[in-house]
Amino acid sequence: MKNIIKYIIPVCIVFSMYGYVNAQDEISPDRKKAIDSLALEKVRDLSKYISIIGDKATDQAEASRVMDRAEELFVEEAEIGVSSLYREQVNYYKVRQYLMRLNQLNYDKVMIKWYNIHYISDLERQPDGKYVGVITVYQRFEGISDDGLTYKDTTKKDITIYVEKKKTQIRGRIIEFWDVLLGDIRVTETTS
Amino acid sequence: MRLISVVFLLLTSYISSFAQMVGDMDDETRLYAETKQVNQFFRRFNGEENKKGDRLYSGDRQYRSVSLRKTYLKMLFDLENPSLNEAHAQEFVESVNDRSVPYYLDFHHDGWLAQVNADFYYKGELQPVILFLKLEQERLGYKWVITSVYFKLFEDYFINDTSYIKKFLHPMSHELDFMNMRRIFSKSDSVQQYMEKKFKPDYLTLFLYEIKKGNLQFVSVKDLKFHFFQVPQWYFEVSYFSRKGNNTGWLISNIVKYKPEDEKVLKDFILYEN
Repeated sequence: MKNIIKYIIPVCIVFSMYGYVNAQDEISPDRKKAIDSLALEKVRDLSKYISIIGDKATDQAEASRVMDRAEELFVEEAEIGVSSLYREQVNYYKVRQYLMRLNQLNYDKVMIKWYNIHYISDLERQPDGKYVGVITVYQRFEGISDDGLTYKDTTKKDITIYVEKKKTQIRGRIIEFWDVLLGDIRVTETTS
Repeated sequence: MRLISVVFLLLTSYISSFAQMVGDMDDETRLYAETKQVNQFFRRFNGEENKKGDRLYSGDRQYRSVSLRKTYLKMLFDLENPSLNEAHAQEFVESVNDRSVPYYLDFHHDGWLAQVNADFYYKGELQPVILFLKLEQERLGYKWVITSVYFKLFEDYFINDTSYIKKFLHPMSHELDFMNMRRIFSKSDSVQQYMEKKFKPDYLTLFLYEIKKGNLQFVSVKDLKFHFFQVPQWYFEVSYFSRKGNNTGWLISNIVKYKPEDEKVLKDFILYEN
């Protein structure tokens, strides 16, 4: 619930500014900016979770709890497709499976750094009325093994976001809000 | 090309100063310059994104401005492609950015399609399959739909040698209740010779059939490119380039100026339909 409030409030504020009662299903540039902020916040949360899960100092119980939190950011059946500079084919993982692989990487020390650059696409409407967009972020990974060997890569992550207008009841009042959930992620290695 | 290089250098120096503002990492200049999504290709092509990367909307001062587009359009070409026709590229930029009759790309409009190069297992063997998709409107929004497919093994089934007189059903066969029809179906490799002249196999139907029969199983998407016909008499292809430098991301990898009467030939060639 704490999480829901965290994500709802920024958008409710925007609605109060632009009048959510008469809100149309069309997304104005101002509303788009508010949705972008919310989506970016979820992506940042995911980035934070990935860093914790990949950190060797994180104990298993904590890693498992963070994986649960990370999974809550996604729609059901979201997948992560991974390719590398040396392999054209894409390997597909369920979110949990991907996070567990990250947690089990055999490095003594793992450093994950996120670039400041990102790109947020326009939102396009699907046949079912939900909006869909893509946020692109970049991640630098560095893993050092027991014997001192270092593996480095930079990956581009294209993250699907689904945006849907929902209703909730707070203290007897129906509040409409735009909810954002993450979907499939395409991970492409750009440099090693 | 010299003009393109000068403009590119100017933009690069602007980007460098911006990158220092947003972070310390050297790669950020390249990542900022990269046309990161096809969506961003549309925005840059149309002059709907300012130099800081902010989305511009109708009513914004710089929205679709000729000078902004001039800067972006020139960096949207794959500048490392020696076979890209420089004169055509220059003419194309001037044509789409004409002050009186400019051309913009429209995401929802016909005239562009995606080409997906994928791997499938066909009867246990890994085989390349090319799928073509377009956007189609449905109910409240849009979706990508498969319009055609190219699979070399299907094509090989239907190679039609027209250099000799083929097998046929003679014109009085009907008087014999087509009893000679059994010869058509006795040899599967020659059955096509009994079809009408304008017969053209529908590979998409075959593809669907083989999927449903379980003979074709999807493995992975290998790569992707886009074909654009939205600018009259110009065809261009957009592909993704991941490499060092600032000329990266989704860029124009091929451009052709064509006469209106050649449009069908060109489209057939691209869709493997000739």
